[in-house]
Amino acid sequence: MRRHKIDRRGFLKLAGVTGVATTAGLTGLPSPLKASTEQEAKKGARFLKYDRGVHSPNFCEMCFWNCGVDVYTRDGKIHKLEGNKLNPNNSGHLCAKGNAGIVSTYDPDRIKSPLIRTGKRGEGKFKKVSWEEAYKYVHEKLNPLIEKHGAETLATFMHGTGEPYPHMFTMALGSPNITIPAYSQCMGSREMAWALTFGTGVSGHETFDMAYSKHMMIFGRNMAGAVQVREAKDFAEGLSRGSKLTYIDPRQSESCVNATDWLQLNPGSDLALALGFIHVILKENLANMDFVREYCYGYNELIEHTKEYTPQWASEKTGIDAKTIERVARDFAKDAPNVVAIPPRRMTRYGNDTQTVRAIAILNALMGSWGVPGGIFVRNKVPIDFPKEEHPHHPKARRADGVGEGEKYPFAPPPLGRTNGIYEATLTQKPYPIKAWLLYGTNPLSHSSVGVNDIYKAIDNLDLIIAIDTQFSDTVMYSDVIFPESTYLERYDAPYIQKDKIPFIALRKPAIKPIYDTKGAFEICKGMAKEFGLEKWFETSPEEKVEELSKLLTKEQMETLEKDGVLRFEDVEPYPIASGVKTRFKTTTGKVQLYVPDLDESYKKYGDDFSPMPKYKDPIMPKEGEFRMLFGRTPHNSHARGQNNSLLLELQDDTPIWINPVDAKKLGFKHGDDVFLINTKTGYKSEHTEKLKVTKRIKEGSVFIHHGFGHDSSAWSRGDKKGIKENWFISDGVDPISGAAAFHNGFVKVVKG
Amino acid sequence: MNIINKLGNKEQNLAMVIIGDRCIGCDACYVACKTDWDVPALKEAYRTKVWEVENEDQHGNPTIGFLPTLCNHCDNAPCVDVCPTGASFKRDEDGIVLVEPDMCIGCKACMVACPYDARYYDEEAQTVDKCTFCLPRTSQGLDPACVTTCVGESRNFGDLNDPNSNVSKLLNDATSIMRLKEDEGTLPNVYYININS
Repeated sequence: MRRHKIDRRGFLKLAGVTGVATTAGLTGLPSPLKASTEQEAKKGARFLKYDRGVHSPNFCEMCFWNCGVDVYTRDGKIHKLEGNKLNPNNSGHLCAKGNAGIVSTYDPDRIKSPLIRTGKRGEGKFKKVSWEEAYKYVHEKLNPLIEKHGAETLATFMHGTGEPYPHMFTMALGSPNITIPAYSQCMGSREMAWALTFGTGVSGHETFDMAYSKHMMIFGRNMAGAVQVREAKDFAEGLSRGSKLTYIDPRQSESCVNATDWLQLNPGSDLALALGFIHVILKENLANMDFVREYCYGYNELIEHTKEYTPQWASEKTGIDAKTIERVARDFAKDAPNVVAIPPRRMTRYGNDTQTVRAIAILNALMGSWGVPGGIFVRNKVPIDFPKEEHPHHPKARRADGVGEGEKYPFAPPPLGRTNGIYEATLTQKPYPIKAWLLYGTNPLSHSSVGVNDIYKAIDNLDLIIAIDTQFSDTVMYSDVIFPESTYLERYDAPYIQKDKIPFIALRKPAIKPIYDTKGAFEICKGMAKEFGLEKWFETSPEEKVEELSKLLTKEQMETLEKDGVLRFEDVEPYPIASGVKTRFKTTTGKVQLYVPDLDESYKKYGDDFSPMPKYKDPIMPKEGEFRMLFGRTPHNSHARGQNNSLLLELQDDTPIWINPVDAKKLGFKHGDDVFLINTKTGYKSEHTEKLKVTKRIKEGSVFIHHGFGHDSSAWSRGDKKGIKENWFISDGVDPISGAAAFHNGFVKVVKG
Repeated sequence: MNIINKLGNKEQNLAMVIIGDRCIGCDACYVACKTDWDVPALKEAYRTKVWEVENEDQHGNPTIGFLPTLCNHCDNAPCVDVCPTGASFKRDEDGIVLVEPDMCIGCKACMVACPYDARYYDEEAQTVDKCTFCLPRTSQGLDPACVTTCVGESRNFGDLNDPNSNVSKLLNDATSIMRLKEDEGTLPNVYYININS
């Protein structure tokens, strides 16, 4: 279970010590047990000392959020990580993952030297080599592929602070196929919808002003359970200040803990619910017309468009009764503009994701929640003119993933790419051969969208897999050459600059020297580049970038940054609309686009999926006896860098399969039964059973497991084969506008173990 | 509030006040505590832990809640009473309950006597161990590790004898106050409050 129910009394019984359980049992114990006067005198003295150790500034790398970290080191060993109080990402707190970062650095399972594969792919047999040998190996293997197929035969997957370096290496070689899974495997559809509506994405550090909100309407974003510190803190703070919370999800997640309403809707019907809310708001004239008149484009079209989406209609689609839909919509509008409608972060769900988030964006627009406290704050740039860095010319070759002008996904951003598209191109070798992968902190075998059979087939098409990582993930085990990266506690990185409510710069300095024969991504990529004569793109090291920054800051600013690890720029306006500052939105019309004219052309060509105002389409449904496969994060293990972390695995090391009592009864299963999952499309059966968790917390017709488990890596002494990997049971759909993945149309059968 | 223990003759009356509205069940406290105090890497060994409580309301709808637990530093501490050596003791100056490892013989009587399962046995050190209210940290002016890291800012620590302390103010403002297993007569010093609902 997620929080194991082992009672420590049970543990005592196992240990056979219950006999000592009563005071009566202790009478007649021999006198030597009496403490000496000396002992009595010293009693407790040890508890009055605490050596905090040497401080060094850092920011967290256990997930993408990059909280500020104060690292404390005693006698050359890191003793404790604490949240940096001044860093706006976390205000002094760290989550379970962040606290456990220390374990990842001292993990004996780490990659300890450069390696070259000696056994079969995936067998996990490698030989230790020197850095020079490893660099030469890359050149020896990659150069012939480039000569034969062009540089675009290399596809690079990146996740983490060291991204600029594999990015530079790939660009310098001449391949456009750089992909950041955070787009198409995660936020892509959300960002696309926000950009089409407001002219800017939500961004990786969400701009929802929950701490001051009067009503948070959250569509399946697990604020409490997915835990990005500032967000989770603001969520808790908003609730404790009395904010209402409407939480919308087929599963009752951690975020329901203080919900005013939990709407357990039918999976895939979020858009119908949002359209129902919009209908009520428009029909009853509840929109914030001051904002709409001044800033919105397409209000009358929207009224016309949503006439058919009555509460009764929405009720049929969602399973939420019409009265509740009306009540919640009215309630939400009552507190406008200090309300916020929040889309999911990982919006890779039913294939209508961009349109679903469009409707959520429209809800915010109608409330006028943009640029006001409790709504959506506006990000500000760090007010410093950073000199433009020189980059190689952008490669001329077309991308392999259908991204770019005139391609299938013209709206998707080329700098991020479609990771799902790169998988497909590798599998089909179309539009041209992809023969090499460079992986930086990414794990396609565990986190992909094309299913177990296909991802292994895709891998078989590759002549070279290069991995830069700290740990032996599933895909690192399949790699041909492995470069061990120093962890974030052992290396410098370039200054961290974040555009935000309060923009800031943060520093990362190594707290300790690398424990093993590892390097930072900069040095690794420079080493590879040198073999190709491209080292000129790697002139300034991360450490030197800190020095460069010092020339752009005042002496006082640099001293603050060095002392505090973070430099905040407070003289900014996060609430321009509330302050009466006229705003021009960076959309085509300069307005908030309730109607998106950018979609007109595609709408004419391809129909309803591209409707300039969201149109509802029923989701693909499971057949009789099938269940929809849903998944989501845990507060501890769901990020790649913590999935073999002993402390985090103490908190959870399995993936109970959630099922509704009605479904369990139909199948004749009870709570705690051991069951397998079978993917009804591919026939794949889980390698082992998991326990069934029978609970009303999951909607009928669906099953749910946590993300981040079921790894296949014999080098992982703790995380290997713990739980089930959802990857093998999800769908390989694509959202037609964003090109991002759609995972939630995968269907499974549940069978007895 | 008559629920609050009054230790009139002690300099300090240290207590933890946990705001129920703000606990999100993230387990940051569990990990921060384990790393600071080198608690053995076992599921059974911890000084604080958050329990997820699943229930149903009167309409049969599922509900969830979170219950962070730790040593209650009871004023009437059963663990201290049963300790045959005096290793388990309560500090006069502030009420913190500690285990002096040099004096602990590992009989585990305290573990069984504790109604809160707040103690564990450290096989390597061969002593019983538990939460110290982070006395080493607080003696240097720091907050306890769990309070410092608490993502929802649910945990608060301070002196109830000081009416201006954060914990005193919170207890004054609370809409509800609860302590665990009051009927055992332990007079615990960990308070669970709500400030909104």
